[in-house]
Amino acid sequence: MNRLTKLPTLRIDPSENRSLQYKGQTYQGVAGDTVATALYANGVRVFARSLKYHRPRGLYSLDGECSNTCMQVDDIPNVRTENTLLKNGMQVKDQNVKGSAEFDWMGFMDKLDCLMPAGFYYRTMHKPASLWPIAMKQVRNAAGLGKIAPDFRMKGDYTEIYPRAAVCVIGGGAAGMTAALAAAESGLRVVLLDARPWLGGCFDYRVSAYDQEKALYQRARELAKAVEATPNIRVFKHTAVVGVYNNNLITAFQVGGESDSFNERYLEIRATSVVVATGCIERPLLFENNERPGIMQVGCAHRLARTYGLLPGNQAVFSIGHDLGLEAAADLFDLGLQIACVADIRADGQDPQLLLALTKRNIPFLRGWVACEAHGSRQVEKVTLSTIDGSAKRQFGCDLLVASAGLTPITGPLTLAQAKLKYDMHTGYFLPVDLPAKTHIAGRLTGLQHALAIEASGRLAGLNAAADCGFDTAKSAAEAGQQLNALPGPERGTRLVSAPVKGRKSFICFDEDTTLKNIKQAIEMGFDVPELIKRFTSAGTGPGQGGIPGHNLPLLVSEYQARTGAKPIPTTVRPPLVPTFIATYAGANHDMCKRTPLHDLQKKAGGVFRRMGVWRRARYFSEDFSCREEILNVRNNVGLLDASTLGKFRIHGPDALKALQRVYVSNMAKVAEGRVKYSAMCNDDGCVIDDGVVVKLAENDYYFTTSTGRAGETVEWIRFHTRYDGWDFHLVNLTDAMGVINISGPNACKVLAKVADTDLANEAFPFSSYREFTIRKKIPVRAMRLGFVGELSYELHADASYMPALWQIIEEAGQEFGIRNFGVEAQNVLRLEKCHIILGQESEQRTNLLDLGLGFLWHRNKPDAKTVGAVALRQTEKDPGRFRLVGFKMEDPQRPPRDGSIIVDQRIRGYVCTARKSFTLNESVGLALVDAELAALGTRLEIFEDECNGKRLDARIVPMPFYDPQGERMKM
Amino acid sequence: MFGRFKPLWGKKPQLKSSYDAVIIGGGLHGLATAYFLAKEHGMNNIAILEKRYIGFGGAGRNTAIVRANQRTQENVPLYKEALDLWPILTKELDYNLMFNNCGNLNLMHSEAAMNTARMNVCTAQFHGIKSHLLDAKQLKELEPAINISPDITYPIHGAMFHPPGGVVRHDAVVWGLAKGAARYGVHIHQQTEATAIHTKNGKITGVDTNRGRIHTPRVLVSAGGYSAGMINKMLGIRLPISVLTIQAMVTQPLKPVLNHVVSSGMYHAYANQTLKGEIATGAHMDPWPNYTTLTTAHYIKHQAEALSDFLPFLRGVKFMRTWAGLADMTPDMAPIIDGNDPIDGFYMNCGWGYFGFKSCTATGRYLAKFMAGGQCPDMLKPFTLRRYEKHRLMGETAALVSYSADN
Amino acid sequence: MALTISCPNCGKRNGYEFRYGGEDKGPRPAEEGLTPQSWCDYVHMNNCVAGIQKEWWCHKNGCGAWFTIFRNTLTNLEVEEPEAKL
Ligand SMILES: Cc1cc2nc3c(=O)[nH]c(=O)nc-3n(C[C@H](O)[C@H](O)[C@H](O)COP(=O)(O)OP(=O)(O)OC[C@H]3O[C@@H](n4cnc5c(N)ncnc54)[C@H](O)[C@@H]3O)c2cc1C
Ligand SMILES: [Zn+2]
Repeated sequence: MNRLTKLPTLRIDPSENRSLQYKGQTYQGVAGDTVATALYANGVRVFARSLKYHRPRGLYSLDGECSNTCMQVDDIPNVRTENTLLKNGMQVKDQNVKGSAEFDWMGFMDKLDCLMPAGFYYRTMHKPASLWPIAMKQVRNAAGLGKIAPDFRMKGDYTEIYPRAAVCVIGGGAAGMTAALAAAESGLRVVLLDARPWLGGCFDYRVSAYDQEKALYQRARELAKAVEATPNIRVFKHTAVVGVYNNNLITAFQVGGESDSFNERYLEIRATSVVVATGCIERPLLFENNERPGIMQVGCAHRLARTYGLLPGNQAVFSIGHDLGLEAAADLFDLGLQIACVADIRADGQDPQLLLALTKRNIPFLRGWVACEAHGSRQVEKVTLSTIDGSAKRQFGCDLLVASAGLTPITGPLTLAQAKLKYDMHTGYFLPVDLPAKTHIAGRLTGLQHALAIEASGRLAGLNAAADCGFDTAKSAAEAGQQLNALPGPERGTRLVSAPVKGRKSFICFDEDTTLKNIKQAIEMGFDVPELIKRFTSAGTGPGQGGIPGHNLPLLVSEYQARTGAKPIPTTVRPPLVPTFIATYAGANHDMCKRTPLHDLQKKAGGVFRRMGVWRRARYFSEDFSCREEILNVRNNVGLLDASTLGKFRIHGPDALKALQRVYVSNMAKVAEGRVKYSAMCNDDGCVIDDGVVVKLAENDYYFTTSTGRAGETVEWIRFHTRYDGWDFHLVNLTDAMGVINISGPNACKVLAKVADTDLANEAFPFSSYREFTIRKKIPVRAMRLGFVGELSYELHADASYMPALWQIIEEAGQEFGIRNFGVEAQNVLRLEKCHIILGQESEQRTNLLDLGLGFLWHRNKPDAKTVGAVALRQTEKDPGRFRLVGFKMEDPQRPPRDGSIIVDQRIRGYVCTARKSFTLNESVGLALVDAELAALGTRLEIFEDECNGKRLDARIVPMPFYDPQGERMKM
Repeated sequence: MFGRFKPLWGKKPQLKSSYDAVIIGGGLHGLATAYFLAKEHGMNNIAILEKRYIGFGGAGRNTAIVRANQRTQENVPLYKEALDLWPILTKELDYNLMFNNCGNLNLMHSEAAMNTARMNVCTAQFHGIKSHLLDAKQLKELEPAINISPDITYPIHGAMFHPPGGVVRHDAVVWGLAKGAARYGVHIHQQTEATAIHTKNGKITGVDTNRGRIHTPRVLVSAGGYSAGMINKMLGIRLPISVLTIQAMVTQPLKPVLNHVVSSGMYHAYANQTLKGEIATGAHMDPWPNYTTLTTAHYIKHQAEALSDFLPFLRGVKFMRTWAGLADMTPDMAPIIDGNDPIDGFYMNCGWGYFGFKSCTATGRYLAKFMAGGQCPDMLKPFTLRRYEKHRLMGETAALVSYSADN
Repeated sequence: MALTISCPNCGKRNGYEFRYGGEDKGPRPAEEGLTPQSWCDYVHMNNCVAGIQKEWWCHKNGCGAWFTIFRNTLTNLEVEEPEAKL
């Protein structure tokens, strides 16, 4: 096909070739082509087959409002080839066809439409029930457009940016550019977005006069130059807005050009004020076979020629409802298109200049006529035109039918911003009746068509937006307003949706193959609001969403309901306004998690890491996940654990004690200096939410720990529960600032004694006490003697920066004793043997402090403290119907039940929280939550494991703890 | 071959001045209750009031995932019954509810999570419901699209597999139940908003609507996310509910590629392929009450990030549409179903959060029994409002309740 | 929707920096004389207002303060304190 290579409006570079692969052949295009225009240049007319009826589909618009040109490109399905820039080497394939788009064996489906009236899925295929699974499989295979492989991996780079803007202008046409320039006059930061790869909007391809000297396209380029030369305007081209949220948050994505580092990037813009100048798209015209290849909208035909240098056909018929159609006819005629006839649905109101232009060119013109049927099986060959009332008909041969009912504004960004739309009888548009705060509109969107008026409205909007940002633009805005008022206002629009047809093959939604007839059927069945019709007929729920039916559906519905006087109600628009890759939304997708100061050392020591909450922790130190060696080494010798993830806090100030009394169940006034107090926090249902230790550093100055999982919320929690009290205390989260090392085992003291500058003798530093000293005269530590794992054990807290050194010092000192690391799982078993609970593991929503046997922590005589949880504990104290935490031993010592197994008789009576083979005891032991009735010592429990096939495991409730019941080893 | 096109749920009925029962809310639970009241208890002088159109609420916005692998024995039997009802109702209503029992895969991201899931699995198996734990390899074989590589934020250790679950077509349930109810004479009044509930001496006497007063001795509020606010405003009964906005979205349609409902608690995301070929996905809620039903920029991005990790092929697929609905959350992730307490003739069924689709038929059936006979069936007793004052939260979520609506 | 919240210390910020802390229910009641019902009412029950409510927020990823604002639950926008009805 010969390109028109000399046009000044072109956006392609005919001198630079680009090629693609399609059906085993190489097709040549040029730089600036989209995939579809390149294929069009090579004579391709059928790009795809429709979803249900497998009707051939061709190029209809160039902005991707429908799936007509969706193809598979480089293994990616549903690519809208009409606005996807061609890159060298692209692999393009047909989709949803048996054969090819041109010759599809499924084409017979088009004859079966009578079997598929609106909602037919719901009314068929379920009888007999046995066939439904088979039918369903067929439905699945027939549905869906593109194909993607389950192991597909997206190539390329996807990123994100978060620009801030005083004014964000959506739409880079004449109105948007003028608005951006006007707003920028005040020196504000302006962001201008346009979906196309260039600025210019609907001026960009038009050669009609802007004024005495310039054509519209020249004016557009002049404005673009001015915009690009303004330093405080940041332009994002090829950037489609996808979402607008309240408080003027705008999301968009930009498609990277050949020289950009990214394929696509996600943008999130927080703007003070927004100008929407998105212009219009065309409103499709409904008639029989209105989507045959060879039928396209005015802008599509015009831009194919003017932007891409492709004359869209040889012999054309126009069926239009807007002056742009007349303008295109005259211009395309001059470029070499033969025009059999131009039918205009309007009886009057055409621009006389344009009519004159048609007459001059001898183009036959029919007023009040419309296309009512297109003929030709794969491509349009002939058109029947009729009068609006259907009383007269004429036929014309053609290979191109330019069809469009009129214009419809792109109001998506406005509706997303919660503007209410109302049908405007003059323009025939759905226009916003009240705009959200700090939002302005300009340009063709408002119904303006006159070039100067479009610009004036842009200037006014830009100045008003600047005023939103605190600039006094009243005077210039008033001037701009006057100027606008002096120019022609919004033009009258058309309302006609459909030619006089029955509508069996008149498609209101191309993507879903929904016809006029389907809409009538739905209404008859009682689906009488557009939203319901949409659901029932699927119209507007396909890949292009409301792009094609969005405006026509409400018009049609109100037409059918004319007797009820119903006004057209717009259908809902939902983000994203343009289908957007998940890769694009995901952007950089950082994986954020915390590492302890000992991470690298643990890694070197062979730690097997797991993500636990916000942290990564070493769970095992060998491939033996039973951790036998780690465990026995703690029991018999000495082990080292990185406990840095523990929550660590300081609370101080005059009311610090009061705050502790509020959140801890114990009497915190009893915390003695040099001692460690173990206590718990409950929620207001009495459920334990946290446990940890508290030490007193000085009067009203405490250091306390929380479980790893609660560290992030503890400050909030304490402040929340004291929020009405106005107490004076400071709360500092030291979790990341400090690390913790736990040294446990009978040899722990010996190891530590080698390096600690203090007396570690039992009398000097007894169990459950707290000391501060230095290690090797250098490293200050806070030390606690605790016994979570049930052995002689020290917990050393030190500044995070000292941690690696501290660890190495201890490891070295412990070498002669055979010290080794143990991980979180070994700790889990060790503490299980001691029946020390882990919250979340041995507790849940249904268990409170008392149920867990921790009632001894509760100090009931402090009602003035209004302790969180105390009321609930008092109210449930005597409730016999609750869970109890029990310890059990398995009848078969070699066979612990798996965690999470349930305890049953006729019903479920509880579940196993944790159970393990204890190497120390050579028994299988566990902790369970059971109905209080079953909690007595000696009770036999039946354990129901997954996949047990009815065979239950036997266990018996035994006293806790299992290991060292006297607790002598911790006090050693 | 087809009947001609008659109104599916009958001609528009006249609003009468009195009914034996009035149901506020033309959603899933309201329609199901009405259907069973009329069908199984012969109560056909009843009205459903719907302020917009049937299915306007959660009924038309949910992602229609159904399953019966809950955590506690108070819940599982109800959901099991509901799961068994889909094929039966399809036949009974002569309307294709399009039950696709493709099975649910619940991803587990740690050893601990596998253990937690085991409790659900055991509970299901104990009740004769199919549910199994799979390790990562078995999971990959079953659903090749899942990424089991260790280098994602939350590496996958395995899954809970629940073969009988799947998805149902939510719109079909709404329209099918409406069709069924209308057949038994139930009046469905759309564009009819309940504006007040009247009581006298502790008994229900009537309902006001924007179209006039209705006398009735029985009122059921099953207005989804609007229930709690309405019950407080009209009757002064406060509920432990937070009304949040929950979002969902679909991608462009694809040929079959994902064969189960795949969900992940860790990633706050689930995904399944609809019969139309779209990948439907959702889950997250912004944790502050609102009635906006607006979507957020934050969430669609979060969803993309999550899916990029565990279903990475989706990176080459496009999101097409997002939407939101209300989720009325209770602190224990179980509904509040109660009646005749403290007002005779007043029934409520709410707190269904984001999980009330799957149970609607069975709940409606038991609730119909409750309303017809006045006695609460055993199946519904655990859902009484009074459980909160007894500090007997249900345990459907293991997580502990804290001070805000963050579940 | 894109919530913003005004922190008394940090000004108007992205809503995701904050944590919602429930309807404003007043200070903790004295423990004496509480019944299970009255306690449950304080702890669990909400008004679920469709309109303006006074509520608590914490500037979690910021200064850490707890404070109250008025917000319209129908629009998710912060509003001025409404004038008390007479
Ligand atoms: C995005 C999303 C995804 C979900 N996904 C799932 C899922 O996968 N699986 C699942 O099981 N559940 C899911 N759910 C939850 C499920 O949709 C709800 O639990 C369910 O819809 C509740 O049913 P309902 O009948 O109680 O309320 P609704 O279906 O919400 O119906 C309530 C009706 O009451 C009407 N109403 C309100 N006020 C009045 C008044 N004053 N007068 C008259 N009428 C009134 C409303 O217009 C509405 O139509 C999801 C919900 C959402 C929002
Ligand atoms: Zn702050």
